[in-house]
Amino acid sequence: MSKEDILKQQHQEFLRKKKRESIRYALLGLAGIAVFLLLWELVCRMSFVNTRYLPAPTEVFKAFIFKLSNRSPDGNTLLENIWASMQVAGLGFVLAIVIGVPLGLFMGWFEPFGRFINPVFELVRPIPPIALIPLIVAIVGVNLQARALIIFFATFVVCTLNAYAGIRSTSQALINVAKTFGAGNFETFWKIGVPSAMPMVFTGIQLSLAGAWSTLVAAEMLASNAGLGNMLNCARKVARPDIVVFSMVIIGALGALFNAVVRFFEKRRLRWKKSD
Amino acid sequence: MFFKYNAKSKLYKVMMWVLPVASLVALLGLYLLSVQTNPLVLPSLPQIYKSFLRLITTPIKGATIWTHIGISLLRVMIGASASWVFGIAFGVLIGWNKTLDATIGTLFTIIRPIPPVAWIPLIILLCGIGEFPKYLLVFIACSFGVISQTYAGIKLVETQAVDVGKIFGANQFEILIHIVLPAAMSSIFVGIYDSIGNGWKVDLAAEMMGATLGIGALVMRAWGEMDMAMVIVCIIMIGITGALISFAMKQLERLLTPWNR
Repeated sequence: MSKEDILKQQHQEFLRKKKRESIRYALLGLAGIAVFLLLWELVCRMSFVNTRYLPAPTEVFKAFIFKLSNRSPDGNTLLENIWASMQVAGLGFVLAIVIGVPLGLFMGWFEPFGRFINPVFELVRPIPPIALIPLIVAIVGVNLQARALIIFFATFVVCTLNAYAGIRSTSQALINVAKTFGAGNFETFWKIGVPSAMPMVFTGIQLSLAGAWSTLVAAEMLASNAGLGNMLNCARKVARPDIVVFSMVIIGALGALFNAVVRFFEKRRLRWKKSD
Repeated sequence: MFFKYNAKSKLYKVMMWVLPVASLVALLGLYLLSVQTNPLVLPSLPQIYKSFLRLITTPIKGATIWTHIGISLLRVMIGASASWVFGIAFGVLIGWNKTLDATIGTLFTIIRPIPPVAWIPLIILLCGIGEFPKYLLVFIACSFGVISQTYAGIKLVETQAVDVGKIFGANQFEILIHIVLPAAMSSIFVGIYDSIGNGWKVDLAAEMMGATLGIGALVMRAWGEMDMAMVIVCIIMIGITGALISFAMKQLERLLTPWNR
């Protein structure tokens, strides 16, 4: 057997060992979840806690079945609530990205423009979007547009400022190369500035996603008659802890799903980054 | 917008000073214009100023606006400082031990995407709307960040450094204390600095959902009375407090981690 074969064999053995280990840890993870759910169920069944306030996991699952077709207590079925929340999130979040990212890029590249817009952002940045709910609802009313505007605000500031920071950190050497090869200001912006700002842009989108999602829940709890946040808050008002916990699970799951989608696009868009 | 400009000209330098001022003036003008078109909802500047004076002199629910802000900040500080102790310990456990990472670490990853705001109704059901539920909520919200940052910091420690420790005969505990934790420190600090800002936002939401004292409760009271001048004063104070928090945290960071300067 040649030396290479031995090395190959050792490498394969190493990979196999690694695979076995990862399977072991995956199983441990599943066991952990199972034990957690079991303990939770037991604690509720043995009435260590008052099930009027903390439901057992099976109750939460029953709430899921219940909400699939039943409109009480908040007036919408589960799918209607998800659809309502998605509309608000989609409108506010997507608009904020479509407007905010180019704005941030322009602000960073064309300095006078940035100087003009930036103070406004510095002024509104420290205000948590949740605090704006009363003001926006008072002006726009309790409707979809108001909630979308709040989500827009929650996304917009973070997205713009990240795009701005991203394009400001473009390497001067690359800009000089482009200029040497005769590219105009706009061409340099488009071919050098924008691509090198992309990682920061995606960071901004991902950061703002978490903020936007939790702001959406808050907005729906405070001023809405539809959506997941409304379902959550109504369930609290009528003391249905099973629906409360179930709503939390759904909100968390959808949040994780959106995060995965953004990550997927980030990976595809930034494939070129792997090469360096 | 694609005009050419000479970055060294005098006009350019003057513009760099004029533009930010012009921007703020434009913003103010825009606001005044919207007051003109919508005088029933939006308060004028004198009204806002009067409301501010009233808030700092006349107590509402037995507290002036400063006391309300102070109460909110106290809640944040209590919840956050508890989260530092718990979060760092928990983060070290799941970052250092692979079995714990696979079991409770997985549970943490599952619970983590639930936004802290969504915990408010459950916590209100379980603990009511007193002081403790606010501490608990801030604690939960801050812990998530601290745990993640501690975990990430430990995972990013170079294996070489750990190997050096092993070669020199250090046991697991010594490696953790003398090599891993110091290397993870800057990441852990990031978690701590962020936690105050996060806690502030979540505490605000909690107060808006159910409280009698605190700046969030004050906003809700103003909203309930449709007193928009008071709402705007509260929003401005919330923004200023938030900005001061992040400023203070940055200064603290400079002070505590001089190697990052």
